[in-house]
Amino acid sequence: MPLELLQNLSEMQIVGELTVLSLLIGGIIMAGGVILAKIAKLLFHKYYAPTLPKDTAKNLSKLIYFGIIVISFLGFTSSQGIDLSGIMVAGGIFAVVIGFATQSVVSNLISGVFLIIEKPAKHGDTIELPDMGISGTLLDIGTFSSKIRKFDGTVIRIPNEKFFTSNIRSLTISTARRADAMVGISYKDDIENAISVIKNEILVTMPFVLHVPEPEFRVEELGDSSVNIQVFVWHPKDDWSQTQPILLSTIKRALDNAGIEIPFPQRVVWDAKD
Amino acid sequence: MSDSESVYSNYGIYDVNENLQLSLPNTEIKIDKIGENAFSYYRKNSDGKIIEKMIPVKSDEIKIELAPIPPLNHPARRTGHVFLKFDREIYLSENSAASIFVHCPIEIGIFLINGSNRESLDCVTCNSLNSRFGLYGSPDTGTLCKYAQVSLATGYDDSIPYIEGVLKIIMENTLSSGQTIDKVVFPITKNSFYYEDSKTIIDGIKIILKKRAVVNIVDVKSVAIETDWTVSPTWEATTVRTSVEMESEQCL
Repeated sequence: MPLELLQNLSEMQIVGELTVLSLLIGGIIMAGGVILAKIAKLLFHKYYAPTLPKDTAKNLSKLIYFGIIVISFLGFTSSQGIDLSGIMVAGGIFAVVIGFATQSVVSNLISGVFLIIEKPAKHGDTIELPDMGISGTLLDIGTFSSKIRKFDGTVIRIPNEKFFTSNIRSLTISTARRADAMVGISYKDDIENAISVIKNEILVTMPFVLHVPEPEFRVEELGDSSVNIQVFVWHPKDDWSQTQPILLSTIKRALDNAGIEIPFPQRVVWDAKD
Repeated sequence: MSDSESVYSNYGIYDVNENLQLSLPNTEIKIDKIGENAFSYYRKNSDGKIIEKMIPVKSDEIKIELAPIPPLNHPARRTGHVFLKFDREIYLSENSAASIFVHCPIEIGIFLINGSNRESLDCVTCNSLNSRFGLYGSPDTGTLCKYAQVSLATGYDDSIPYIEGVLKIIMENTLSSGQTIDKVVFPITKNSFYYEDSKTIIDGIKIILKKRAVVNIVDVKSVAIETDWTVSPTWEATTVRTSVEMESEQCL
């Protein structure tokens, strides 16, 4: 019975040499390929991906998945006895037409490929796109768009063409980063003493501040109400949160403990009669 | 081994049947039996920070080893290199060699002995104010290191208990001009640490100043020392792997 059914199916022609049986076999090959691709991707994620860098793991995972799909498709086409050369020619002409119609889509695709090759940033990097006012963690460089998780937890999708052509500032590519803060002290207080107490407090209470290069202090401005000192400290790239957010409070604590005034805005008023 | 007559506890292996109290500079450690097969670990620093752990075990007692380890874990593990800045420069004439002893900061590891294995339980520093980082090179391509200003030592006996060990540096200048050395940067993970009582010595390094083609380079290699002191176990950072549905995540 099954053999008779199969024979009947093989005799039912759809178009040319394409029969219902060959289409069924092709469908089974494609379905098998998709299932195999999903299983391979799952096994790769479970057993190998944790040992690889995140960006390498994502790229390899996509390569494995789409590679098996492509091989399955080739198997499907050969099982149908389809001659691809005619399709290639037609496809080439079709591609030119589609290319004009979908320029931005193709541009996104090409930009995605260049992003993966050039790697201005990779998965997991903290980046900033100053032109777009976006900063966060790069989650994925996809086929047409990339995803960034902003610091507020939301995820923003950026077309690859925009991503590739914009300025990209990587916040984690360097070994060390610099944090800075500005503080004003009263004109009556000694600048060198203020710098000394701030430096001591930073070096003692902020363990992630580098000792080489050591903290730098610049008298930036003799302002209307205060002498303004700019403080620069270096820290390991992964420890921004242990440094920049607490730098100003550390400086204030040091000045308060030393009795150095951080003045309010003030004016000196001279009476004309005097 | 039991507590010595001195104020602080020596390095070494301790058997814990009911409880154990270890004392280190600025640090207090207590291990207590809390059940039939469980012990509690408690550590308090001078800054008031407290670490508590529970250790389920198969037997009625546990063995703990207190040993010096490389100074790479405080305030956080970021690098395997150390940057030792000498308190004075050392001048080497052309085609000359010299050897010096220097102090090198250490941390103290607490290991749980499980058969022949040493499992990393905790690590402390008795000199947290000097556990700091330095950058060797430029911010974008340089090497992040644990930084310390160190003084020259008179010999292996000059180790400062619990704070600094002693390491021998052999320097060789094969260049055709005198050179001044004021610092050394090297990966300390390749150097073994040794202890006796409360003192520490470390495998040395050999520094060779030489020419490679037209460039002057500094070649730094570890040099093992021959000693009958006890070698410290290797400290392994704790690794936690968690699976979250279809995605696996690795945390260090």
